[in-house]
Amino acid sequence: MMAGAAQHREPVRYVQIDESLCNGCVLCIKACPTKAIRIREGKARIEGVCIDCCECVRVCPRRAIQAITSESLDLAEKDHIIVSPSTVLYSQFGEDVLPNDVLLGLKRMGFGYIHDQSYTSEIFNLAVELYIKENREKPDAPLPFISPVCPVVVSLIAYRFQSLLKHIPPLITPREIVAREGKTRLAARHGLDAETFKVLHITPCPSKMICMKESILQEHSYLDAAIGINTIYGELKRNIHDVEDDIVLHHSGGIGLSWGMSGGEISGVELNCLAVSGLEETIRYLEKIEIGLLGDIDYVEFRACTEGCLGGPFTVMDKYQGKRNLQKLVRMFGVEKQVKYGYVKKLYDKGWFFTDKKESHEEAITQISAVDIARGIERLKRIEETLKLLPRKECGACGSPDCTTFAEDVTDGKASLESCVFWKDQKRKLNIRP
Amino acid sequence: MKPGGLLKKYSIKPRDFVKAGEGSIRIQKFLKFIGFDAGLIRRISICAYEAEMNVVMHGGDGEMSMLVDPKEIVLEVADDGPGIPDIGLALQEGYSTASPEHREMGFGAGMGLPNIKKNADSLDIHSGNGQGVHLTMCFEVKTR
Repeated sequence: MMAGAAQHREPVRYVQIDESLCNGCVLCIKACPTKAIRIREGKARIEGVCIDCCECVRVCPRRAIQAITSESLDLAEKDHIIVSPSTVLYSQFGEDVLPNDVLLGLKRMGFGYIHDQSYTSEIFNLAVELYIKENREKPDAPLPFISPVCPVVVSLIAYRFQSLLKHIPPLITPREIVAREGKTRLAARHGLDAETFKVLHITPCPSKMICMKESILQEHSYLDAAIGINTIYGELKRNIHDVEDDIVLHHSGGIGLSWGMSGGEISGVELNCLAVSGLEETIRYLEKIEIGLLGDIDYVEFRACTEGCLGGPFTVMDKYQGKRNLQKLVRMFGVEKQVKYGYVKKLYDKGWFFTDKKESHEEAITQISAVDIARGIERLKRIEETLKLLPRKECGACGSPDCTTFAEDVTDGKASLESCVFWKDQKRKLNIRP
Repeated sequence: MKPGGLLKKYSIKPRDFVKAGEGSIRIQKFLKFIGFDAGLIRRISICAYEAEMNVVMHGGDGEMSMLVDPKEIVLEVADDGPGIPDIGLALQEGYSTASPEHREMGFGAGMGLPNIKKNADSLDIHSGNGQGVHLTMCFEVKTR
């Protein structure tokens, strides 16, 4: 769709299509927000920029599209693995299973170290408050600031809303903080190299893979592998039981636990905040911010999945039931902050929360050449001319998601007008002679 | 139309708050599509939105047009509403004629024209009592 948008990364894909199951229907090409998929020779193919949102995975009725997670982590070496689950995991086992039970279940599975994220999430909330209070009064402060937490949203901004990159505070996410601190503290304790320890993230979505391999906001990720909640679910469930155990692995209050649902992150930020979830709504709001609206808001929590991470493609429990479980946990643990402001302030002043990427948030000043602009205008004119020839039925039968995109593909030489199923009729109607 | 240029037109309906801002978002998408620099697009979109909202709130039937050229983008917003009696006053920071009803909807912080002046490379206003408003905003395209 975007002619001028630079491809920000090589197409390493964590969404894969099994052609033997694909029957070439149009559901995925229509669902894709970046219009990256086409049907070619009767099969779906990812040709454009994939932001790992998994909308195609969700709509595919034949399960031909699957999201994948980590390849290489030797699970036999469990004693050197630090497991750090998304807080969504706590919502997946019913209302009587507490976060500590889930973490103990992971321990019983044989993993060396189990690190909870919800407590760090509460710390991160305070870091966001500090950052915003420090920066919002500056002239031309990029308000509203945008949460760096959802990797799909970050990819979406990098691909379609580049001018909003500077709205993302240069803070590292709780999952990265947990991984970094886990490794460095264990290394110091055992007198070993930090890289002896590997961090496995249990995730509701495959987009964490992207953060690990080619993050936009960081030079280096501290996570080593990710595994879907659904992959580990069965074995973990068998290991969760009522046996009395006095090891306490979970320390947060309700706020840290609520992060898995939409509005959970901002529930811990005492500023003027807004939570938006779902890809369609996210795009609508990013468009608004890009034309200068919502400047009276300090911070927006965007989550690409509807209802937040609970709606991730790797979850097992339905998002609304999961939400109910989390809400119950929030009531049980209360909304008092468990972390101390002074402690976080000290860490903040030491630079503990800042990413290692220096210029990532500065708007890339891309000086475009006049030739490129002239070419862009000419291309657009040709696309509009082509579009006039099309029936605007938006059927997708040609293999492109809609008539506009088809006109682009024809203009760029990637498709022929003959693939439009209405083309014969159109030729007659418009009096076009062969 | 200048050779090489491209003209786009969108109509603006007064008091249509549901569709308000759609023209600006289309302009923004359109400029992105061509491949202009994000900062320039942002400035143009902000101006388009402010001008569009002025028509929706105070104006009559209006039209927004944009002429895109590799060197310059000209945005014009015109309507046949009551017009601006005192342009100098309307250009002052903080001055607003928004009704309490508009303010409740979050509009009318008096940012309209001053915000356009700040973001456009040049601004030309033609108006008077009962004469509608005709804004012409120009943006220079900086290329290497």
